[in-house]
Amino acid sequence: MLQEPDASLAFLTSAEAEGHLGGSCVVIVRTRGEFARWLREPAPGVEWLQVEGLLPDQEAWAMAAQGTSKVPLDVILTDPATEFSGLYRLVDARIVRSVRVTMPAAPGFLKAVRLAASLQLPVRLLPGQPSAEALAELTEAAHFYLHDPMVETPVEFFHSLLAGLRGTETGTLWTMLEEDPLVFARAEAQRPRDFVETHLARLIEQGAECAACRWQKVCAGYFKWPDPAYTCAGVKQLFASIESAADEIGRDLASRESGAS
Amino acid sequence: MSDRVFSVILLPTAECNVACDYCFEDKEPHRLSMVMLPLLTRQLLDHLEHEGIEECEIYWQGGEAMIMGPAWFAEAGRLMDTAASTRGRRFKHYLQTNLISYSPVWNEVLRSMFGGSLGTSMDYPNLHRKLFAGGAEAYTRLWTDRLREAVAAGIEVGVIAVLHRGSLEAGPERFYRYFTEELGLKSFQVNTPFPGGPAKAVAADFDLDKSVLAQFLAGLFDLWMERGLDAGVALGPFDALIHHFTGAPARLPCIWKENCSNQFISVDSKGTVAQCDCWVTSYPESFFGNVFRDASLTEMLRKSPARQQFVERPKHLVEHEDCLPCRYLSICHGGCPVRTYSALGTMLAKDPDCEVYKAVFGRAEAHGRALLRRRLLTGVAKPGFQPAPGRPVAVAVR
Repeated sequence: MLQEPDASLAFLTSAEAEGHLGGSCVVIVRTRGEFARWLREPAPGVEWLQVEGLLPDQEAWAMAAQGTSKVPLDVILTDPATEFSGLYRLVDARIVRSVRVTMPAAPGFLKAVRLAASLQLPVRLLPGQPSAEALAELTEAAHFYLHDPMVETPVEFFHSLLAGLRGTETGTLWTMLEEDPLVFARAEAQRPRDFVETHLARLIEQGAECAACRWQKVCAGYFKWPDPAYTCAGVKQLFASIESAADEIGRDLASRESGAS
Repeated sequence: MSDRVFSVILLPTAECNVACDYCFEDKEPHRLSMVMLPLLTRQLLDHLEHEGIEECEIYWQGGEAMIMGPAWFAEAGRLMDTAASTRGRRFKHYLQTNLISYSPVWNEVLRSMFGGSLGTSMDYPNLHRKLFAGGAEAYTRLWTDRLREAVAAGIEVGVIAVLHRGSLEAGPERFYRYFTEELGLKSFQVNTPFPGGPAKAVAADFDLDKSVLAQFLAGLFDLWMERGLDAGVALGPFDALIHHFTGAPARLPCIWKENCSNQFISVDSKGTVAQCDCWVTSYPESFFGNVFRDASLTEMLRKSPARQQFVERPKHLVEHEDCLPCRYLSICHGGCPVRTYSALGTMLAKDPDCEVYKAVFGRAEAHGRALLRRRLLTGVAKPGFQPAPGRPVAVAVR
């Protein structure tokens, strides 16, 4: 039986990426040396560099602001509440190449979201299974994204969710957050390619609240991983607040169009 | 090549031909020698190459830059531009002058080296810019004559006005009309003052009540929106703020950059390197090094402990001041380090003019929204307002 070619994006360590001939990939860099090597000569097929643990390294960011390569960067924060001020080191780098910031929705993350927004850095927010405290902060972050006029760059997943609720085809939350193994082959996640489909099917089969959830299509069981017993009440309210904003946009546009006709 | 901008505020001399009584600069008699210029140029080009930057803006200031004479500048420009071209780089030159020494002999170099434009300064009312013999009124008469001569010769002139108590007492209406009607200017800029350098008695005239200053600036903003915006008058920094709040590319002044240390340095006639002209003329403790003695400008900037304070400042502010939750963080970033240092003795605090800036930003935001609404309702893509022609991003205080 013919096998479909693997079109997913491979996430490779620096060593794995050397000599990689299998198509598009993301290179994970964790040292200044690795960062320098892939900034200097990104190689065809490298879509972006995922930069881990280097935010405090001023020299690394001076390097990222130089040179002719334009390879984009995804800068990973692990503790946004303490690391946030280091985002100022990205100011020059973001002039010469696309730079995004990824962070977990850990307590205090809103500080990093605010500063990233003020520096026009797009944000990818990984909500995981948020605690009540994190949910409160996520709600505040969503409000900030939706209403603060200083926000000019996307904050995912709010941005794609809003677009999806306005009718754009954006896929599931797994896709929006680049965690669907069918498309994004992250080795550390250790999930099979058909994970999203089978995970949701299992949840429904087991009678999880997903079966009757109005957000099933967009969420696809995202918030039921890794603990299927996680209660989604707070997350549903978050979705509802973004839906409310989408409806408001729709009403405003409709009233303008009817005023113009 | 990158889109990064690198600027150098270059002071070929600290000598001056006038006696402004609030000037804080140390006017030591010294001039940049043509013999040293190739070394300075090489250091700059080495740095541009290392950083992958194609173009460097040179803001020639002083002291009084025109003391050097047009022939000196013509030769300096030729030397620097030739060296840059050889290495695939470009210098773009801007001249800031008190205009007192201007005459037609300057026109050729102004056109060839400075793009047919220059920047100058005048306050309203002028109480503090003075000639050595003749005082403020004589200065104003002479400067106005020079301005009219330059404009008649086709030189584009931008004027910086520093606010003092007299300005606030005169009020926005008289202030605005002086520059636009009496002088007939199409481009000018207002700066807030700061008490740089050693204490002077006259500094009190520049120690402005923040609420009165905020009120003045708000009033001036409203006036400009009403009369100047559609008439093609560029008034900095209001025009840049309107660009920002209407979604157009905006080049905000240096006091509101994310971190000025990323974008420019100042070099004086002796090769001393510091953050900007305000620092290099007044605060030796802030010097980064010397471009004629240090082997590499890049290494100097990388290793200088004094510069590291500038680099760390915005991080410190979002951790310790109330800047992070501020609605206007994205266009302010804690304001100007030298304004902070001169008022508080430390740069690790937010700009003392914070509340003034917020008042101006608030006004700009309201006007910007109204403009956008107007465009949406009328279908007009852009009102009769053009961005100000390449005004220097570095703000000359004087």
